[in-house]
Amino acid sequence: MIEPVALQDFFITFFSSALIIMAGASYALLFAWSKVNTNLWIKIAAYCSYSILILSVMELTRAAQFQGYWLIISLVMVIGYFFAPIGIWYLCVKTHSDLTITTEEDTL
Amino acid sequence: MNTSGINGVIQKATALYETSQVCMNDFKSWVQLDSSHLSDGQRLAVKYFIVAVILFFAQILFGLLAATQFIFPGFLYEILDFSVNRMIHINAMIVWMLYGFIGCVYWFLEDESGTEIVGLKLGNIAFWVLTGAVTLVVLVYLLVQIGPGKDSSLWFINEGREYIEAPRWADIGIVIVMLIFFYNVVATFIKGKWSGIAGVLTLDLVALAGLYVAGMFYMTNITHEQYWWWWVIHLWVEATWEVLVGVIMAWSLMKLLGVRRKIIQTWLYIEVALMFGSGILGLGHHYFWIGTPEYWLTIGGFFSALEPIPLVAMVVHAVYDTGANAFKNSNHPALAWIIAQAFGNFFGAGVWGFMHTLPQINMFTHGTQWSASHGHLAFFGAYATINIAFFYLAIQHWRGDVWMGSDSQNTWRWKWALGLLNGGVLGMTIALLIAGYEQSFIERAVEGSTWGGYFTAQNHPSFQSAMVWRLFFGGVTFAGFVLLVWDLLTIGKGETRLAPEIIEMR
Amino acid sequence: MNEIPLWASETFWKKTAIWVTAGSFLVLVVLTMDSLSKTSAGSKRVPAYSVINKKIDYQYNKELHKFMPVISENELLFGKEYTEQEALQLVDLGKKTTQAKNCMNCHTLLGNGAYYAPDLTKAWLDKGWVSKEVREDMMMRFLMDPEKNARTFGSNRKMPNLNITEQEAKGIIAFLKWMSSIDTNGFPYNFKTINAEE
Repeated sequence: MIEPVALQDFFITFFSSALIIMAGASYALLFAWSKVNTNLWIKIAAYCSYSILILSVMELTRAAQFQGYWLIISLVMVIGYFFAPIGIWYLCVKTHSDLTITTEEDTL
Repeated sequence: MNTSGINGVIQKATALYETSQVCMNDFKSWVQLDSSHLSDGQRLAVKYFIVAVILFFAQILFGLLAATQFIFPGFLYEILDFSVNRMIHINAMIVWMLYGFIGCVYWFLEDESGTEIVGLKLGNIAFWVLTGAVTLVVLVYLLVQIGPGKDSSLWFINEGREYIEAPRWADIGIVIVMLIFFYNVVATFIKGKWSGIAGVLTLDLVALAGLYVAGMFYMTNITHEQYWWWWVIHLWVEATWEVLVGVIMAWSLMKLLGVRRKIIQTWLYIEVALMFGSGILGLGHHYFWIGTPEYWLTIGGFFSALEPIPLVAMVVHAVYDTGANAFKNSNHPALAWIIAQAFGNFFGAGVWGFMHTLPQINMFTHGTQWSASHGHLAFFGAYATINIAFFYLAIQHWRGDVWMGSDSQNTWRWKWALGLLNGGVLGMTIALLIAGYEQSFIERAVEGSTWGGYFTAQNHPSFQSAMVWRLFFGGVTFAGFVLLVWDLLTIGKGETRLAPEIIEMR
Repeated sequence: MNEIPLWASETFWKKTAIWVTAGSFLVLVVLTMDSLSKTSAGSKRVPAYSVINKKIDYQYNKELHKFMPVISENELLFGKEYTEQEALQLVDLGKKTTQAKNCMNCHTLLGNGAYYAPDLTKAWLDKGWVSKEVREDMMMRFLMDPEKNARTFGSNRKMPNLNITEQEAKGIIAFLKWMSSIDTNGFPYNFKTINAEE
């Protein structure tokens, strides 16, 4: 069962969904960058992006009137978008690992 | 009397033929392309690329006509109605992208398999048959347009189903040509080397051809008809095409950046798992409102939320690679278009898709210009860009692997073509976004989707001006296309420095 | 760290790709069989074609929490009661005609198609046909001669003449009436039908 978005929440629905994807991608980008560059600010910026993602998911959950099992989708987004970049990063490292390339990850 | 008349016609025809020969020769000597640089498979590929570019032109031309009709409804009324222009606009798009993909596969088939194409002659015949059929279908679209409500209309004129309007006889022809293509690919790989890329490509082509068959049947029950129709459209565009692009990218990255096969193939498998894992059941987001059971709302919503995951993977991997490999690139326009692909795919498919995909909001955005906005950016961003990138790779090789870098001649052409095409499509996307937003608001939410509500939204000043902007940016796109063709024909002409040497020098 | 662990190896991902694809596809096939059986003509969601003999409305259902088609007493189309077979033939002619005339490249049906002309999902129930008494006649005249009977709502957009015969027009109307009885999960939202009191 779904509860359609209310008229006054149209804009915020579009905006927060777009922001989820963009914040998710920018978190992924900054997270990956923080792995090759140890500058602390990059890491901070990554977690800032992630907190924007959480806020957007919360706002979308409210605006799209998620209830019952629909809340699982919110949860999946919050957890999934946090761990996906981490997992993919390790996958990158490991799939390339028999190469003699040096990244910050290796020297650390 | 009669014979002299015929003789006159023959004379005129010969004269016309000779003039066209002269023009053709002038053109050939102007472009100065040396086909001895190409292998047999690549020569076949180039034919596909040429038709792809011509169809790309048709797509833009008929798009412009249809866009004009939104502003001046009387324009070409009952001569070339909106339905005809719009049909050719979207059909040309589907077909030129398929031509591009087939061309790409023929391009690398011999290199990847390490042997000559098994059925080269058959491949050439299939090319001419397909091109002849496409021409005939378009002529019938233009000249006959519609038929009576009988099976014969669906067999010989058009099937009236968005994106796959081609009449039944052409459907069967397309399947046969695809089977020949499939045979060429598989038999060549079997004769030469089999590889992971070959395996993914083979399975993907089976799915591609098989799915098309799902869309070939007439059904009275519109819910069933739409159900199968989406199998073709969605599972092509959001699953098998994506994997096909993945295969083309995998080969290109291996050749251009020298990434090792093992890594490339592992990542190709990862991409396949992510794309098919999210894409196949992502089909659910088209089954919200066509009469299908309610569980599709949940399935569609859930998998739509997962569909951006492959994009996230791409972002992370791109950063990893730039850290790991020092980029050496001898084809700047191709690289620029690949970067455009990354952004276009991310925004068009990812952001624009997710903005209106959840059923709670799709209830209002479904069947409005929202879909057109998403469609323009996603198709261009994900598929047009990669084809154009490959055109540049092809032309570089055709010129004899010359250097195409920042200090080449006339780089302004490809840069402006890139800017105009991307800016044009982005402009159309934004204009359609505004129109769609207004439509979902006024027509769907306030007026409850009545015909009166539909026209209230269409007559609204914000919608009207959005349509003007869309036409304007359509013009910008067209300008970009003209420049692109000019650049593709001339880039690298007179360049003597070879690409690999320059890279080694650096 | 020169060893590739199993979970990052080529064979692992090859198998994963195959299993994920096959698994998703299998689920899709099962769901497809279920969906097709639940939406065959004559099912709860997609009524039999003889529904064209009935009065059809579209109302908000508080219990189900969505707009639902409401099928009630007899309300004959063209003053004739169709058998199931006759109804199928008529709707089939209408459906075929909508395809042969390429309706979908201006209109949307069930919300899919082009956006140059109004949605046809609930066209039968639209208030634009003024009243139930004149609806059939108006639709017939519009379909057969859309230029003279244009319904442009101030947009100047006119449907072109598509050479629709009388029988085809009847078929289209029957098809539209039947389509309006499909349970589309509440799409379109808040639609006020021709039956609704102002």
